[in-house]
Amino acid sequence: MTSGLRPGAVYHKCVAGRSAVGSASLARLPIVTAFDIFVQEGCVPDSRRPAIMAALDAACRRFLGAETDPLEARWTVVRKGYGFRGGEPSTTSLVRARIPDGCSPETRAALLRTLGEAWREVTGTGEEEVVVSARDWSWAG
Amino acid sequence: MEEEAKTVPFYRCLIPQDSLTYQQRAKIAVAFTDVHCGISAAPRRFVQVAFLETNGSGEVADTHGSGVLRYDTRFFIAGGNRAGRSPETKTRILDGLISRFAEIAAVPREQVSGQITEAPASWTMEAGKILPEPGEEPPEWYE
Repeated sequence: MTSGLRPGAVYHKCVAGRSAVGSASLARLPIVTAFDIFVQEGCVPDSRRPAIMAALDAACRRFLGAETDPLEARWTVVRKGYGFRGGEPSTTSLVRARIPDGCSPETRAALLRTLGEAWREVTGTGEEEVVVSARDWSWAG
Repeated sequence: MEEEAKTVPFYRCLIPQDSLTYQQRAKIAVAFTDVHCGISAAPRRFVQVAFLETNGSGEVADTHGSGVLRYDTRFFIAGGNRAGRSPETKTRILDGLISRFAEIAAVPREQVSGQITEAPASWTMEAGKILPEPGEEPPEWYE
């Protein structure tokens, strides 16, 4: 899946725990949980991505089961001067997951809280600086 | 004004490389916040706007639904909001965004298009709190 973005809105694809998986093998894997992650340039170092992915993966495994492996994430880095919140420069990250259908409200809420806590713990950012969501895989929008 | 819980409106503006100055981007971000908060009751700090320079592919991943959003205009606004608004309200918001964008970018309105997709509020957590569904907001939610 491509986003049509050029570098500047930097685009990466990562798979938790799989450092050398190429797109050809990705296509053959049953990806059922995926993340779209938007971070503001300079707010979350690239070097933290492996730890972030591991934390998100652990949260998904805990609440969604082992069948969620592998977990895929697409990262977009919003350039400085290109991201705003309330009309002011933003430091907020958005972590948007797609998860398997059928999650109970309680499980989804627990997953969201755990993902948020994991994000804050790994990145060192505040509660106000991350928005987390988890929508059903089949949700059309 | 429509009553609305604190939601997380997220507007991505897909723009050609170097097509907008910082001043224009900042003005558009404020204008989008005005439009959204003028129609809903969302606090201003919840309105997120990101400008992403494109390679001209004409599509962008949907952050609130599935698949991709396709467009054939020079500029595109990909909005993501809480589900539950009337079609009329969604149209008013999108019309307002497109009008202000075209005005500030100084481009013909025909060069700007957009789409808003939605997801249930309770599928999102902001500032450590799960968002309530429409009509289920506690009084303190609006404080």
